[in-house]
Amino acid sequence: MTPRSLSAVAPSGSTDELFGSAVPLDGYESDTADARPLSLRGVSKRWSKDQSPVLDRLTLTLEPATKTWVGGRNGAGKTTMLRIAAGLIEPDGGDVKIWGVSARHNPTRHRRLVSLLPAGDRGLYARLTVRRQLEFWARIAMVPRERFRRSIEEAIDCFELSELAGRRVDRMSMGQRQRLRIAMTFLPEPEVVLLDEPLTSLDAEGTALLNAAIDRLLARDGAVLWCSPSGEHLDMRFHTRWILERGGLVSA
Amino acid sequence: MSDAILAGHAFLAVMRRDLHVYLSYRTRLVSQALTAVFSLTLFYYVSRLVHVRGFGSPGSYFGFVVVGIALVSVMYSCFSIPDLVRQELVAGTFDRLLLSPFGAVRSVMAMTLFPLLYSFVLAALTLGMGCLLFGLRLHWSTVPLSVPVMALALLSFLPFGLLFAALTVVIKQGTVATSWVIALISIVGGLYFPVSLLPHWLQTAAKLQPFTPATDVLRHLLVNSSLGDSPSASLLKLGLFACVLMPAATLVLGGAIRFAQRRGTIIEY
Repeated sequence: MTPRSLSAVAPSGSTDELFGSAVPLDGYESDTADARPLSLRGVSKRWSKDQSPVLDRLTLTLEPATKTWVGGRNGAGKTTMLRIAAGLIEPDGGDVKIWGVSARHNPTRHRRLVSLLPAGDRGLYARLTVRRQLEFWARIAMVPRERFRRSIEEAIDCFELSELAGRRVDRMSMGQRQRLRIAMTFLPEPEVVLLDEPLTSLDAEGTALLNAAIDRLLARDGAVLWCSPSGEHLDMRFHTRWILERGGLVSA
Repeated sequence: MSDAILAGHAFLAVMRRDLHVYLSYRTRLVSQALTAVFSLTLFYYVSRLVHVRGFGSPGSYFGFVVVGIALVSVMYSCFSIPDLVRQELVAGTFDRLLLSPFGAVRSVMAMTLFPLLYSFVLAALTLGMGCLLFGLRLHWSTVPLSVPVMALALLSFLPFGLLFAALTVVIKQGTVATSWVIALISIVGGLYFPVSLLPHWLQTAAKLQPFTPATDVLRHLLVNSSLGDSPSASLLKLGLFACVLMPAATLVLGGAIRFAQRRGTIIEY
Protein backbone atom coordinates (compact mmCIF):
# COMPACT_ATOMS: atom_id res chain seq x y z
CA MET A 1 0.00 0.00 0.00
CA THR A 2 1.37 3.42 -0.89
CA PRO A 3 -0.12 6.78 -0.17
CA ARG A 4 -1.97 8.80 -2.79
CA SER A 5 0.46 11.69 -2.87
CA LEU A 6 3.53 9.50 -3.25
CA SER A 7 2.82 9.14 -6.93
CA ALA A 8 1.59 12.68 -7.35
CA VAL A 9 4.66 14.63 -6.34
CA ALA A 10 8.11 14.72 -7.87
CA PRO A 11 10.83 13.90 -5.40
CA SER A 12 13.59 16.23 -4.43
CA GLY A 13 16.64 16.11 -2.25
CA SER A 14 18.07 18.71 0.05
CA THR A 15 19.86 20.54 -2.75
CA ASP A 16 16.66 20.51 -4.80
CA GLU A 17 15.06 22.71 -2.18
CA LEU A 18 16.44 25.77 -3.90
CA PHE A 19 15.90 24.91 -7.48
CA GLY A 20 12.94 22.54 -7.43
CA SER A 21 13.00 19.09 -8.94
CA ALA A 22 11.56 17.29 -11.89
CA VAL A 23 13.06 13.87 -11.19
CA PRO A 24 10.59 11.11 -12.06
CA LEU A 25 9.32 8.91 -9.28
CA ASP A 26 11.43 5.99 -10.53
CA GLY A 27 14.58 7.92 -9.74
CA TYR A 28 13.59 8.48 -6.19
CA GLU A 29 14.96 6.54 -3.25
CA SER A 30 12.10 4.90 -1.42
CA ASP A 31 12.17 1.71 0.52
CA THR A 32 8.61 0.71 -0.35
CA ALA A 33 9.01 -3.02 0.36
CA ASP A 34 8.38 -2.52 4.06
CA ALA A 35 6.81 0.90 3.78
CA ARG A 36 4.54 1.98 6.59
CA PRO A 37 3.00 5.40 7.24
CA LEU A 38 5.67 6.03 9.87
CA SER A 39 8.66 3.98 10.86
CA LEU A 40 11.19 4.98 13.53
CA ARG A 41 14.01 2.42 13.72
CA GLY A 42 16.66 2.48 16.43
CA VAL A 43 16.29 6.22 16.95
CA SER A 44 18.62 7.69 19.57
CA LYS A 45 19.09 11.23 20.80
CA ARG A 46 21.25 12.54 23.58
CA TRP A 47 21.27 16.24 24.47
CA SER A 48 24.68 16.25 26.13
CA LYS A 49 27.47 13.75 26.75
CA ASP A 50 26.99 13.69 30.51
CA GLN A 51 23.28 12.94 30.28
CA SER A 52 21.57 9.65 29.53
CA PRO A 53 19.92 9.56 26.08
CA VAL A 54 16.43 10.97 25.90
CA LEU A 55 15.69 8.41 23.17
CA ASP A 56 17.62 5.15 23.23
CA ARG A 57 17.33 3.01 20.08
CA LEU A 58 13.61 3.68 20.00
CA THR A 59 11.57 1.75 17.46
CA LEU A 60 7.99 2.53 16.52
CA THR A 61 5.91 1.67 13.47
CA LEU A 62 2.51 3.09 12.65
CA GLU A 63 0.17 1.01 10.52
CA PRO A 64 -2.20 2.55 7.96
CA ALA A 65 -5.52 3.85 9.31
CA THR A 66 -4.39 3.79 12.91
CA LYS A 67 -4.23 6.25 15.77
CA THR A 68 -1.38 5.69 18.20
CA TRP A 69 -0.97 7.31 21.59
CA VAL A 70 2.36 7.80 23.32
CA GLY A 71 2.33 9.00 26.90
CA GLY A 72 5.05 9.59 29.42
CA ARG A 73 6.02 11.94 32.19
CA ASN A 74 7.19 15.49 31.48
CA GLY A 75 10.63 15.44 29.91
CA ALA A 76 10.39 11.78 28.90
CA GLY A 77 11.22 12.63 25.27
CA LYS A 78 7.79 12.67 23.59
CA THR A 79 8.30 16.05 21.94
CA THR A 80 11.82 15.10 20.88
CA MET A 81 10.45 11.92 19.30
CA LEU A 82 7.81 13.91 17.39
CA ARG A 83 10.36 16.50 16.25
CA ILE A 84 12.62 13.76 14.97
CA ALA A 85 9.72 12.01 13.25
CA ALA A 86 8.77 15.28 11.55
CA GLY A 87 12.35 15.93 10.42
CA LEU A 88 12.74 19.08 12.48
CA ILE A 89 15.79 17.76 14.32
CA GLU A 90 18.09 14.90 13.39
CA PRO A 91 18.61 11.85 15.58
CA ASP A 92 22.12 10.81 16.63
CA GLY A 93 21.37 7.34 15.31
CA GLY A 94 18.64 5.35 13.63
CA ASP A 95 16.34 6.35 10.82
CA VAL A 96 12.92 7.86 10.25
CA LYS A 97 10.78 7.03 7.26
CA ILE A 98 7.34 8.05 6.12
CA TRP A 99 6.05 5.49 3.62
CA GLY A 100 9.65 4.48 3.02
CA VAL A 101 10.81 8.06 2.46
CA SER A 102 13.82 8.87 4.62
CA ALA A 103 13.84 12.13 6.57
CA ARG A 104 17.65 12.20 6.36
CA HIS A 105 18.14 11.37 2.68
CA ASN A 106 15.06 12.96 1.19
CA PRO A 107 13.92 15.72 3.54
CA THR A 108 11.89 17.73 1.03
CA ARG A 109 9.89 14.69 0.00
CA HIS A 110 9.52 13.60 3.62
CA ARG A 111 8.08 17.00 4.53
CA ARG A 112 5.33 16.62 1.95
CA LEU A 113 4.05 13.50 3.67
CA VAL A 114 4.05 14.52 7.31
CA SER A 115 2.57 17.35 9.32
CA LEU A 116 3.40 18.29 12.91
CA LEU A 117 1.28 20.14 15.41
CA PRO A 118 3.80 21.41 17.97
CA ALA A 119 2.78 21.79 21.59
CA GLY A 120 1.89 25.24 22.88
CA ASP A 121 0.38 28.16 21.03
CA ARG A 122 3.29 29.26 18.84
CA GLY A 123 3.72 29.06 15.08
CA LEU A 124 1.18 31.69 14.05
CA TYR A 125 1.62 35.18 12.61
CA ALA A 126 -0.13 37.43 15.13
CA ARG A 127 -0.95 40.21 12.67
CA LEU A 128 -2.47 38.02 9.95
CA THR A 129 -6.13 37.07 9.72
CA VAL A 130 -7.19 33.43 9.87
CA ARG A 131 -7.84 33.27 6.13
CA ARG A 132 -4.50 34.86 5.24
CA GLN A 133 -2.74 32.52 7.65
CA LEU A 134 -4.30 29.52 5.93
CA GLU A 135 -3.56 30.90 2.45
CA PHE A 136 0.05 31.50 3.41
CA TRP A 137 0.43 28.05 4.86
CA ALA A 138 -1.17 26.42 1.79
CA ARG A 139 1.35 28.22 -0.43
CA ILE A 140 4.31 27.26 1.75
CA ALA A 141 3.02 23.69 1.89
CA MET A 142 3.02 23.89 -1.94
CA VAL A 143 -0.57 22.70 -2.22
CA PRO A 144 -1.29 22.24 -5.96
CA ARG A 145 -3.33 24.98 -7.62
CA GLU A 146 -6.30 22.72 -8.36
CA ARG A 147 -6.59 21.93 -4.66
CA PHE A 148 -5.57 25.33 -3.28
CA ARG A 149 -8.96 27.11 -2.85
CA ARG A 150 -10.76 23.93 -1.88
CA SER A 151 -8.25 23.05 0.84
CA ILE A 152 -8.60 26.49 2.43
CA GLU A 153 -12.40 26.44 2.31
CA GLU A 154 -12.42 22.91 3.71
CA ALA A 155 -10.10 23.90 6.54
CA ILE A 156 -12.39 26.83 7.38
CA ASP A 157 -15.51 24.64 7.21
CA CYS A 158 -14.14 21.57 8.98
CA PHE A 159 -12.79 23.55 11.90
CA GLU A 160 -15.71 26.01 12.00
CA LEU A 161 -13.51 29.03 11.42
CA SER A 162 -15.83 30.93 9.05
CA GLU A 163 -16.83 33.51 11.67
CA LEU A 164 -13.17 34.02 12.52
CA ALA A 165 -11.87 34.06 8.92
CA GLY A 166 -11.38 37.83 8.86
CA ARG A 167 -10.08 38.11 12.42
CA ARG A 168 -6.46 38.68 13.28
CA VAL A 169 -4.79 35.96 15.32
CA ASP A 170 -3.72 38.30 18.13
CA ARG A 171 -7.41 39.08 18.69
CA MET A 172 -8.42 35.44 19.14
CA SER A 173 -8.73 33.29 22.25
CA MET A 174 -6.22 30.51 22.96
CA GLY A 175 -8.78 27.84 22.05
CA GLN A 176 -9.56 29.56 18.74
CA ARG A 177 -5.85 29.77 17.96
CA GLN A 178 -5.46 26.09 18.72
CA ARG A 179 -8.28 25.29 16.31
CA LEU A 180 -6.49 27.32 13.63
CA ARG A 181 -3.19 25.54 14.35
CA ILE A 182 -4.92 22.18 13.98
CA ALA A 183 -6.60 23.34 10.76
CA MET A 184 -3.16 24.31 9.38
CA THR A 185 -1.79 20.90 10.35
CA PHE A 186 -4.43 19.04 8.37
CA LEU A 187 -4.67 21.51 5.48
CA PRO A 188 -1.98 20.01 3.18
CA GLU A 189 -3.64 16.59 3.46
CA PRO A 190 -0.58 14.84 4.88
CA GLU A 191 -0.25 11.06 5.13
CA VAL A 192 0.92 11.18 8.74
CA VAL A 193 -0.08 13.69 11.38
CA LEU A 194 1.99 14.13 14.53
CA LEU A 195 0.10 15.78 17.38
CA ASP A 196 1.87 17.12 20.45
CA GLU A 197 -0.66 17.76 23.21
CA PRO A 198 -3.37 18.74 20.74
CA LEU A 199 -6.09 19.26 23.35
CA THR A 200 -4.35 22.28 24.88
CA SER A 201 -6.97 25.05 25.31
CA LEU A 202 -9.44 23.11 23.18
CA ASP A 203 -13.11 22.91 24.26
CA ALA A 204 -15.39 19.89 23.69
CA GLU A 205 -16.51 21.24 20.33
CA GLY A 206 -12.92 21.75 19.20
CA THR A 207 -12.03 18.24 20.37
CA ALA A 208 -14.90 16.82 18.31
CA LEU A 209 -13.67 18.72 15.23
CA LEU A 210 -10.17 17.34 15.77
CA ASN A 211 -11.48 13.79 16.08
CA ALA A 212 -13.52 14.22 12.90
CA ALA A 213 -10.40 15.39 11.03
CA ILE A 214 -8.49 12.39 12.35
CA ASP A 215 -11.28 10.05 11.20
CA ARG A 216 -11.10 11.53 7.69
CA LEU A 217 -7.32 11.01 7.65
CA LEU A 218 -7.65 7.40 8.81
CA ALA A 219 -10.33 6.80 6.17
CA ARG A 220 -7.69 7.43 3.50
CA ASP A 221 -5.18 5.13 5.20
CA GLY A 222 -3.28 7.87 6.97
CA ALA A 223 -1.93 7.54 10.48
CA VAL A 224 -1.84 9.66 13.61
CA LEU A 225 0.73 9.75 16.37
CA TRP A 226 -0.66 11.56 19.40
CA CYS A 227 1.57 12.48 22.33
CA SER A 228 0.43 13.81 25.67
CA PRO A 229 1.41 13.28 29.32
CA SER A 230 0.40 10.09 31.06
CA GLY A 231 -3.08 9.91 32.51
CA GLU A 232 -4.78 11.92 29.77
CA HIS A 233 -7.08 10.62 27.07
CA LEU A 234 -7.61 7.21 28.63
CA ASP A 235 -11.24 7.58 27.61
CA MET A 236 -10.30 8.17 23.98
CA ARG A 237 -10.12 5.41 21.40
CA PHE A 238 -6.61 4.59 20.16
CA HIS A 239 -5.49 1.55 18.22
CA THR A 240 -2.20 1.38 20.11
CA ARG A 241 -0.97 2.91 23.36
CA TRP A 242 2.59 3.26 24.51
CA ILE A 243 4.42 4.86 27.39
CA LEU A 244 7.79 6.44 26.70
CA GLU A 245 10.20 5.88 29.59
CA ARG A 246 13.99 5.66 29.85
CA GLY A 247 14.28 6.37 26.14
CA GLY A 248 12.14 3.44 24.98
CA LEU A 249 8.51 2.50 24.50
CA VAL A 250 6.60 0.10 26.72
CA SER A 251 3.05 -1.00 26.15
CA ALA A 252 0.51 1.04 28.13
CA MET B 1 1.90 21.95 -11.83
CA SER B 2 5.65 21.84 -11.58
CA ASP B 3 7.52 22.41 -8.37
CA ALA B 4 9.08 25.55 -9.82
CA ILE B 5 5.69 27.24 -10.29
CA LEU B 6 4.53 26.20 -6.82
CA ALA B 7 7.80 27.54 -5.41
CA GLY B 8 7.20 30.81 -7.28
CA HIS B 9 3.76 31.07 -5.66
CA ALA B 10 5.34 30.38 -2.27
CA PHE B 11 7.93 33.16 -2.83
CA LEU B 12 5.10 35.59 -3.64
CA ALA B 13 3.10 34.35 -0.65
CA VAL B 14 5.96 35.24 1.71
CA MET B 15 6.12 38.71 0.16
CA ARG B 16 2.33 39.11 0.44
CA ARG B 17 2.46 37.99 4.07
CA ASP B 18 5.09 40.63 4.85
CA LEU B 19 3.04 43.28 3.04
CA HIS B 20 -0.05 42.40 5.09
CA VAL B 21 1.91 42.48 8.34
CA TYR B 22 3.43 45.81 7.30
CA LEU B 23 0.03 47.29 6.43
CA SER B 24 -1.35 46.20 9.79
CA TYR B 25 0.93 48.83 11.35
CA ARG B 26 -0.71 51.87 9.81
CA THR B 27 1.70 54.59 10.85
CA ARG B 28 4.93 52.86 9.88
CA LEU B 29 5.37 54.50 6.45
CA VAL B 30 4.59 57.94 7.88
CA SER B 31 7.14 57.52 10.67
CA GLN B 32 9.81 56.27 8.25
CA ALA B 33 9.11 59.14 5.83
CA LEU B 34 9.44 61.57 8.74
CA THR B 35 12.77 59.99 9.70
CA ALA B 36 13.97 60.57 6.14
CA VAL B 37 12.78 64.20 6.29
CA PHE B 38 14.69 64.75 9.54
CA SER B 39 17.87 63.25 8.04
CA LEU B 40 17.50 65.37 4.91
CA THR B 41 16.93 68.52 6.97
CA LEU B 42 19.95 67.79 9.15
CA PHE B 43 22.29 67.20 6.21
CA TYR B 44 20.83 70.12 4.24
CA TYR B 45 21.97 72.51 6.96
CA VAL B 46 25.21 70.64 7.61
CA SER B 47 25.99 71.05 3.89
CA ARG B 48 25.53 74.79 4.31
CA LEU B 49 27.74 75.02 7.36
CA VAL B 50 30.66 72.88 6.37
CA HIS B 51 32.95 73.43 3.42
CA VAL B 52 33.92 69.93 2.36
CA ARG B 53 37.05 69.30 0.34
CA GLY B 54 36.23 68.09 -3.14
CA PHE B 55 32.81 69.72 -3.37
CA GLY B 56 32.33 72.91 -5.33
CA SER B 57 29.20 74.02 -3.51
CA PRO B 58 27.02 73.11 -0.51
CA GLY B 59 24.43 71.80 -3.01
CA SER B 60 26.86 69.28 -4.49
CA TYR B 61 27.63 67.85 -1.02
CA PHE B 62 23.90 67.72 -0.28
CA GLY B 63 23.32 65.71 -3.49
CA PHE B 64 26.19 63.43 -2.51
CA VAL B 65 24.80 62.75 0.96
CA VAL B 66 21.14 62.33 -0.11
CA VAL B 67 22.12 59.37 -2.27
CA GLY B 68 24.02 58.01 0.74
CA ILE B 69 20.93 58.39 2.95
CA ALA B 70 18.79 56.62 0.32
CA LEU B 71 21.30 53.74 0.18
CA VAL B 72 21.37 53.42 3.96
CA SER B 73 17.72 52.31 3.87
CA VAL B 74 18.62 49.67 1.27
CA MET B 75 21.54 48.52 3.39
CA TYR B 76 19.33 48.31 6.49
CA SER B 77 16.92 46.09 4.54
CA CYS B 78 19.69 43.68 3.61
CA PHE B 79 20.84 43.53 7.20
CA SER B 80 17.28 43.15 8.54
CA ILE B 81 17.23 39.48 7.44
CA PRO B 82 18.88 38.12 10.62
CA ASP B 83 16.37 40.06 12.69
CA LEU B 84 13.51 38.64 10.62
CA VAL B 85 14.87 35.12 11.11
CA ARG B 86 15.15 35.72 14.83
CA GLN B 87 11.53 36.92 14.96
CA GLU B 88 10.46 33.72 13.19
CA LEU B 89 12.48 31.62 15.63
CA VAL B 90 10.91 33.35 18.64
CA ALA B 91 7.39 33.10 17.22
CA GLY B 92 7.84 29.39 16.44
CA THR B 93 7.00 30.06 12.79
CA PHE B 94 10.52 29.13 11.66
CA ASP B 95 9.72 25.50 12.59
CA ARG B 96 6.74 25.60 10.25
CA LEU B 97 8.81 27.06 7.43
CA LEU B 98 11.49 24.44 7.98
CA LEU B 99 8.95 21.61 7.99
CA SER B 100 7.18 22.87 4.89
CA PRO B 101 7.99 21.51 1.42
CA PHE B 102 9.10 25.06 0.51
CA GLY B 103 11.81 24.74 3.15
CA ALA B 104 13.72 27.12 5.36
CA VAL B 105 16.42 28.26 2.91
CA ARG B 106 13.95 29.33 0.25
CA SER B 107 11.74 30.88 2.93
CA VAL B 108 14.61 33.01 4.24
CA MET B 109 15.43 34.10 0.70
CA ALA B 110 11.78 34.93 0.10
CA MET B 111 11.74 36.97 3.32
CA THR B 112 14.20 39.37 1.69
CA LEU B 113 11.81 40.33 -1.13
CA PHE B 114 9.45 42.67 0.71
CA PRO B 115 12.10 44.56 2.72
CA LEU B 116 14.17 45.08 -0.41
CA LEU B 117 11.26 46.28 -2.52
CA TYR B 118 10.17 48.48 0.34
CA SER B 119 13.67 49.94 0.66
CA PHE B 120 13.52 50.77 -3.07
CA VAL B 121 10.32 52.73 -2.41
CA LEU B 122 11.85 54.42 0.63
CA ALA B 123 14.99 55.34 -1.33
CA ALA B 124 12.84 56.82 -4.13
CA LEU B 125 10.80 58.70 -1.51
CA THR B 126 13.97 60.11 0.05
CA LEU B 127 15.25 61.30 -3.31
CA GLY B 128 11.81 62.71 -4.16
CA MET B 129 11.62 64.64 -0.91
CA GLY B 130 15.18 65.85 -1.47
CA CYS B 131 14.03 67.30 -4.80
CA LEU B 132 10.74 68.76 -3.61
CA LEU B 133 11.71 70.10 -0.20
CA PHE B 134 15.40 70.93 -0.56
CA GLY B 135 15.92 71.59 -4.25
CA LEU B 136 18.05 68.50 -4.97
CA ARG B 137 18.86 68.33 -8.68
CA LEU B 138 18.70 64.82 -10.11
CA HIS B 139 20.43 63.95 -13.36
CA TRP B 140 17.21 62.77 -14.99
CA SER B 141 18.74 61.42 -18.20
CA THR B 142 20.62 58.70 -16.29
CA VAL B 143 18.14 58.13 -13.43
CA PRO B 144 16.43 55.14 -15.18
CA LEU B 145 19.80 53.39 -15.41
CA SER B 146 20.04 53.49 -11.62
CA VAL B 147 17.26 50.85 -11.34
CA PRO B 148 19.22 47.91 -12.86
CA VAL B 149 22.38 49.10 -11.10
CA MET B 150 20.47 49.14 -7.81
CA ALA B 151 19.24 45.60 -8.51
CA LEU B 152 22.82 44.44 -9.10
CA ALA B 153 23.93 46.27 -5.97
CA LEU B 154 21.24 44.46 -3.97
CA LEU B 155 22.44 41.11 -5.23
CA SER B 156 25.92 41.99 -4.03
CA PHE B 157 24.69 43.32 -0.64
CA LEU B 158 22.22 40.50 0.06
CA PRO B 159 24.78 37.76 0.79
CA PHE B 160 25.97 39.71 3.83
CA GLY B 161 22.43 39.60 5.24
CA LEU B 162 22.16 35.88 4.49
CA LEU B 163 25.47 35.19 6.23
CA PHE B 164 24.28 36.98 9.34
CA ALA B 165 20.99 35.07 9.11
CA ALA B 166 23.05 31.84 9.14
CA LEU B 167 24.83 33.12 12.23
CA THR B 168 21.47 33.83 13.87
CA VAL B 169 20.27 30.27 13.18
CA VAL B 170 23.36 28.82 14.86
CA ILE B 171 24.06 31.18 17.78
CA LYS B 172 20.63 32.86 18.01
CA GLN B 173 22.31 36.26 17.92
CA GLY B 174 23.46 38.35 15.02
CA THR B 175 21.48 41.53 15.23
CA VAL B 176 24.12 43.17 17.47
CA ALA B 177 26.84 42.33 14.98
CA THR B 178 24.78 43.73 12.10
CA SER B 179 24.56 47.15 13.75
CA TRP B 180 28.39 47.21 13.98
CA VAL B 181 28.68 46.20 10.35
CA ILE B 182 26.20 48.86 9.24
CA ALA B 183 28.17 51.50 11.17
CA LEU B 184 31.43 50.28 9.63
CA ILE B 185 30.01 50.24 6.11
CA SER B 186 28.58 53.74 6.59
CA ILE B 187 32.19 54.84 7.13
CA VAL B 188 34.11 52.78 4.58
CA GLY B 189 31.28 52.71 2.03
CA GLY B 190 31.44 56.46 1.56
CA LEU B 191 27.78 56.97 2.35
CA TYR B 192 28.15 60.31 4.13
CA PHE B 193 31.56 61.54 2.99
CA PRO B 194 34.06 60.64 0.27
CA VAL B 195 36.32 57.69 1.09
CA SER B 196 39.27 59.80 -0.10
CA LEU B 197 39.06 61.59 3.26
CA LEU B 198 39.81 58.34 5.10
CA PRO B 199 43.31 57.16 6.10
CA HIS B 200 44.96 54.95 3.47
CA TRP B 201 44.44 51.68 5.35
CA LEU B 202 40.71 52.40 5.60
CA GLN B 203 40.61 53.30 1.92
CA THR B 204 41.89 49.78 1.25
CA ALA B 205 38.98 48.40 3.27
CA ALA B 206 36.67 50.55 1.16
CA LYS B 207 37.86 48.72 -1.95
CA LEU B 208 37.23 45.25 -0.51
CA GLN B 209 33.44 45.41 -0.32
CA PRO B 210 30.63 46.11 -2.80
CA PHE B 211 29.08 49.09 -1.00
CA THR B 212 31.65 51.64 -2.17
CA PRO B 213 31.44 50.91 -5.92
CA ALA B 214 27.63 50.66 -5.71
CA THR B 215 27.41 54.04 -3.98
CA ASP B 216 29.87 55.52 -6.44
CA VAL B 217 28.00 54.40 -9.57
CA LEU B 218 24.56 55.23 -8.21
CA ARG B 219 25.72 58.70 -7.23
CA HIS B 220 27.08 59.21 -10.71
CA LEU B 221 23.79 58.12 -12.27
CA LEU B 222 21.54 60.05 -9.90
CA VAL B 223 23.35 63.34 -9.25
CA ASN B 224 26.13 63.20 -11.84
CA SER B 225 28.96 63.12 -9.31
CA SER B 226 32.43 62.15 -10.47
CA LEU B 227 33.48 58.49 -10.34
CA GLY B 228 36.44 57.03 -8.47
CA ASP B 229 36.80 54.05 -10.83
CA SER B 230 35.43 53.58 -14.33
CA PRO B 231 31.73 52.55 -14.36
CA SER B 232 32.57 49.24 -16.03
CA ALA B 233 35.17 48.40 -13.35
CA SER B 234 32.69 49.21 -10.58
CA LEU B 235 29.91 47.20 -12.22
CA LEU B 236 32.27 44.28 -12.79
CA LYS B 237 33.20 44.39 -9.12
CA LEU B 238 29.51 44.34 -8.12
CA GLY B 239 28.81 41.48 -10.53
CA LEU B 240 31.68 39.44 -9.14
CA PHE B 241 30.56 40.00 -5.56
CA ALA B 242 27.01 38.92 -6.49
CA CYS B 243 28.11 35.86 -8.51
CA VAL B 244 30.54 34.58 -5.89
CA LEU B 245 28.85 35.56 -2.65
CA MET B 246 25.19 34.75 -3.40
CA PRO B 247 25.69 30.99 -3.96
CA ALA B 248 28.25 30.88 -1.14
CA ALA B 249 25.92 32.62 1.32
CA THR B 250 23.04 30.36 0.32
CA LEU B 251 25.16 27.28 0.92
CA VAL B 252 26.33 28.62 4.27
CA LEU B 253 22.71 29.31 5.30
CA GLY B 254 21.65 25.78 4.30
CA GLY B 255 24.64 24.35 6.16
CA ALA B 256 23.84 26.40 9.27
CA ILE B 257 20.25 25.12 9.30
CA ARG B 258 21.36 21.49 8.91
CA PHE B 259 23.99 21.99 11.62
CA ALA B 260 21.32 23.33 14.00
CA GLN B 261 19.03 20.42 13.10
CA ARG B 262 21.79 17.92 13.88
CA ARG B 263 22.56 19.57 17.20
CA GLY B 264 18.85 19.95 17.94
CA THR B 265 19.24 23.68 18.57
CA ILE B 266 17.06 24.70 15.63
CA ILE B 267 14.13 24.84 18.06
CA GLU B 268 15.93 27.23 20.41
CA TYR B 269 15.75 31.00 20.24
